[in-house]
Amino acid sequence: MQKIVLFFTLLISFSALAQDQAPLEGRVRYLIVHDWAKKMAAVDYLSKQSRERIAYMWGNDSEWKMYANFFFTATESKYEDSEEKAEADDQGYSWRKDAYYIKRNFEKNTTYDVIEMLGKTYIVEDSLYMPEWKIHNDLKEVAGHICMKAYWEDTVKQQKVVAWFAQDIPHSGGPERFCGLPGLILEVDVNNGAMVITADLIEMKKLNKELDLPKKIKGKKIREAEYQDVLKKFLEEKRKAEEPYFWGIRY
Amino acid sequence: MQKRLLLPALLFFSAILSAQNPSRVTIKGIVADTSGDEVVLPTVMLLNPSDSTLVNFTRGDEKGFFQLKNVKNQAYLLKVSYVGYLPLQMRLEPSATAVNDLGTLWIKPITTELLEVVVKAAKATLSIRGDTIEYDASSFKVPPGSTVEDLLRRLPGIEVDGDGNIKAQGKDVKRVYVDGKTFFGDDPKAATKNLGAETLSKVQVYNEQSEQAKLTGVDDGKKEKAMNLELKDEYKKGSFGKLTGALGNEDRWAARGNYNRFNQKEQLSFIGYGNNINQTGVNWEDYGEFKGQSTFSDFDNGDFGFNNGGGRYFVFGGDDSPLNNFDGRGFTENYGGGANYNFDNKKAKFNVSYFYNQTDLQLDQFTDRQTFAEGTSFFNSDTTQKTDFRQNHSLNTRFEKDLDSNNLLIIKAQGRLSHNDATTGQSQLFFLENGATTNRLQMEQDNDLDSWRMTSAAIFRHRFRKKGRSFAASAGYNHNRTDGSENTFSINRFFDANTFTEQIRQLNANENRAMQLKSSLLFTEPLSKKWYWETFYNFSTSSNEVDRQVADPENNGQRIDSLSIFYHYDILYNRVGSSIRYSNEGLNVSVGLAAQQLSLGGEYSRDRNAPLIADPIDRDFLNWTPNIGLSYEFKNNIWLHTNYGYNVREPQPNDLQPVPNQNNPLFRTEGNPNLDPERNHSIELNLNRWNPANMSSIGIGSNLNLYDNQIVYSQTIEALDSVGIRTTSRPENVSGGQEFNMYLWSNFPIVKTKLTMNLNGSLNFGNTPAFVNGEENETRNRGYRLNAGLNFTPGNKLIFGAGAYINPNNITYSIQEEQNQKIRNYGVNASTKWQFANKFFLESNFNYNIYRNDRYGFDRDVPIWNASVRRLIGKENRLELRLAVFDLLDRRISITQNGTQNYVVRNIAPTLARYFMLSASYNMRGYENKLNKNNWW
Repeated sequence: MQKIVLFFTLLISFSALAQDQAPLEGRVRYLIVHDWAKKMAAVDYLSKQSRERIAYMWGNDSEWKMYANFFFTATESKYEDSEEKAEADDQGYSWRKDAYYIKRNFEKNTTYDVIEMLGKTYIVEDSLYMPEWKIHNDLKEVAGHICMKAYWEDTVKQQKVVAWFAQDIPHSGGPERFCGLPGLILEVDVNNGAMVITADLIEMKKLNKELDLPKKIKGKKIREAEYQDVLKKFLEEKRKAEEPYFWGIRY
Repeated sequence: MQKRLLLPALLFFSAILSAQNPSRVTIKGIVADTSGDEVVLPTVMLLNPSDSTLVNFTRGDEKGFFQLKNVKNQAYLLKVSYVGYLPLQMRLEPSATAVNDLGTLWIKPITTELLEVVVKAAKATLSIRGDTIEYDASSFKVPPGSTVEDLLRRLPGIEVDGDGNIKAQGKDVKRVYVDGKTFFGDDPKAATKNLGAETLSKVQVYNEQSEQAKLTGVDDGKKEKAMNLELKDEYKKGSFGKLTGALGNEDRWAARGNYNRFNQKEQLSFIGYGNNINQTGVNWEDYGEFKGQSTFSDFDNGDFGFNNGGGRYFVFGGDDSPLNNFDGRGFTENYGGGANYNFDNKKAKFNVSYFYNQTDLQLDQFTDRQTFAEGTSFFNSDTTQKTDFRQNHSLNTRFEKDLDSNNLLIIKAQGRLSHNDATTGQSQLFFLENGATTNRLQMEQDNDLDSWRMTSAAIFRHRFRKKGRSFAASAGYNHNRTDGSENTFSINRFFDANTFTEQIRQLNANENRAMQLKSSLLFTEPLSKKWYWETFYNFSTSSNEVDRQVADPENNGQRIDSLSIFYHYDILYNRVGSSIRYSNEGLNVSVGLAAQQLSLGGEYSRDRNAPLIADPIDRDFLNWTPNIGLSYEFKNNIWLHTNYGYNVREPQPNDLQPVPNQNNPLFRTEGNPNLDPERNHSIELNLNRWNPANMSSIGIGSNLNLYDNQIVYSQTIEALDSVGIRTTSRPENVSGGQEFNMYLWSNFPIVKTKLTMNLNGSLNFGNTPAFVNGEENETRNRGYRLNAGLNFTPGNKLIFGAGAYINPNNITYSIQEEQNQKIRNYGVNASTKWQFANKFFLESNFNYNIYRNDRYGFDRDVPIWNASVRRLIGKENRLELRLAVFDLLDRRISITQNGTQNYVVRNIAPTLARYFMLSASYNMRGYENKLNKNNWW
């Protein structure tokens, strides 16, 4: 401990600056890397040997990348898949995107989520869905921000979620349906690398209409509890049938 | 550490708590830096003390003052986090007063060096977890070949003296672990001096109980510094493998084994098998494990054409893959084995694999065939005995390298050396419609063939800076060589006493060479966000040589001129095409056109350097080939894919040769030098729907081929004196041929997760025109297949399946409608998998197939019943014993029946019937002690 040199100039001013001058408004681009061999590896009800065989045969070819955008102001946010392509070898082939918009209002504590899954479009309208995060002591730097680790076990999807939230961006939002931490979530690792979402671009800027949802969205309006029930029922069936659950729902 | 300091204070607080605590409380305090500097907007969190769950949080103000109002009065873990500082954590007990003022909370900055590591190195992670400080080894650069000791010298907070003694935060490090385990005894220097720095992923420093405390189990409160070196995944090794040996009655045996070793970068595997139970190769799973990461290689096709920008696809296996491909006829003895090596460090991939396999086939076969000509027909009834020995050596290699993020290079090569040695004895009895026998042809033939084939290709892909613009080029060289000899002997006996017996002896020497050079280019230009323009060019030139020398051993090996031939054959191919594609929101449409030019040139003589026997062939073809493709992904998981193309295929050199091939005196094949390329329109349509919610799926696939110009084999049937009924086959161009196939499949639950049903149906329609004795005959095939199956899974221990199919096939001949055929195949099947006790499994499979053709009164029933019991042994279930019976009813036989052109044929071949087998298998990873409902590879 005697080696500790006190250090207090640069970072304090840096964090103070960030918060005093820039308004809490802008865009975060997240890079999402899906690894389907690792997704398979996390499905404990499948045969261990077939999971290992997949990992062995697919090696490093099991990844799929995409971008998503998170627009935010101090009170609101919207998260959606980006038009921008992250896969270089796509050669312009266009895949259909399932509707997926997560719109939150932190002031009113409400969420309006458009989620297409299992062949249907659901609109989840309810108060904000906050996972029960456990806070760890680990620190890590993501996209230039020092982040703290939080952990949550999704008992419905049976996923182990590690989130890294920025100490210096006081926003409770995050990618996908993850939120509710004292700082903006800049990285999420689900099931040991099966899906890794990392902020790779953070722009503090004034937003125009980015927070607006598309005008005509049709879907079945449900409450959060009903949404969880749909998921729970589907996963239960997949578990019984010993089939992977992640084709048909968002991971 | 802070925790420990605060503990007495907390105990004091809790001691003075009264029973009448308020239900809500306000917690406040000021966060301050130990150096006295201001802490601006710190994060303050309240956690549940039992599991650190976040209950509430707030931000302090510019002075570090914070306040959590009106929170439940209970025990909390209060956590303060602030950039550049060690997180502060303290336990709060329920407060006795409505306001719990915590006073000043001091937080300590992280040391400069540590912080720099966290902030500066882009991917660096340095985590502080309680007492443990974890360094990411890869973010500290050391020269290649450095030891762990060199690396440690660079870690902030760690000192290494001249003797290699390590201090962390000023204290001696007493123990060094590698992956949590002691490395070569207790000397901490053993690991740090011997391990290479590049093997580490993390270095962790933490406090550990003293050795004394560990021994006695009494915590003496003394802590010693310990260090753990965590190895990178790629230095984590693994291996797996299986070995099976089996013995049966009647000398049946089988053995197979495979062994794989791997780490994060490399995979090395070996596989071997041998048996006399008709397993001519390895199964899918074993082959996948053998090839490992090189099982699937995408984008390997260097022959660019239409729809190359159509997403991603993978190819499994290939022609040369040593998969089990036994066709059900005869008895085989098989041996094979190989080795495979893969390397992949994400920037470069390399694969090399070698495989050897051999199969020795003993086949008896009975064939009945009726051939039609205008107004008449004849029969032949054949008995064939064949021994066929084949062996192959194949060597495959593939290299892929990302030259940089925009350039990719793939090089691959494949070599295959084969030897084939076959002896065939055939007796053919010919008779007429009225049953009168005409002649019997007996043939004996020895074949010897050595062949060598090599294919190689290089593919280069470049992406331009402009998004979506790309270029690809490929080049390939292929080489083929075969050397064969045929020794044939035939006796043709006639039942008509006036005709002499004919004997023919022939020695054929065949030498073929082929060489092909090819290259392709592809350029993709984005016209806008949704529009793309693709242009490709293909070039190929090939040079072929066929040398067939026929000698008469009865005449001092003199060449039989009329049957010998030598020819050169060159093909030059050029194609240039372009297409426009629209891609947006799951819709991809492309429209394109290509011009294809083909030049054929050939020269024919009796022997090398002999004068030409026919005019040289020199022909040019120019074709315009349009192509339209459309794929669309609808909402609700419905996919549509449709494609139209115009295909042109050049005639095979064999079909163009002007000299007949006559190994069998009653069946001659002739060539046709005037043959045109085959041209057809093809239309494909696929529609699939998958419903994940109720786990059902349905799909329809179809394709239609309309021939402008089809190469068919016309037949001339002649009754010749002293020869018998001779058939001569000759390739010719006809138009009007059609093929239509449709496949429908569906799978849906009747009772979710318990009972599912699948229904499949298919249609195979074909109209094939051909000439028989100069008269046009159109053969129409109408084949239908309907298949229904049920899968019942009442629990985890029992799976039951049942199914049935009908497969009628109607064939009509325009020249002889009274000969129209109705071939009927039917079948039912039932299967059971049952885990009847812990580690005990029963598997049973029953198939009942019926083969009928009423015109000939043919009706055969073939029931096949296989069953086995197996038991897993050992704690890890590594050993498996299995007793199996194959074809319990002893009825297995191979039957095929079909009709095309102007004949109907039925083949019956005996094959391996009932046998019992006891096998023992050892699996390094252990077998699974449960039934698998699905096989998700």
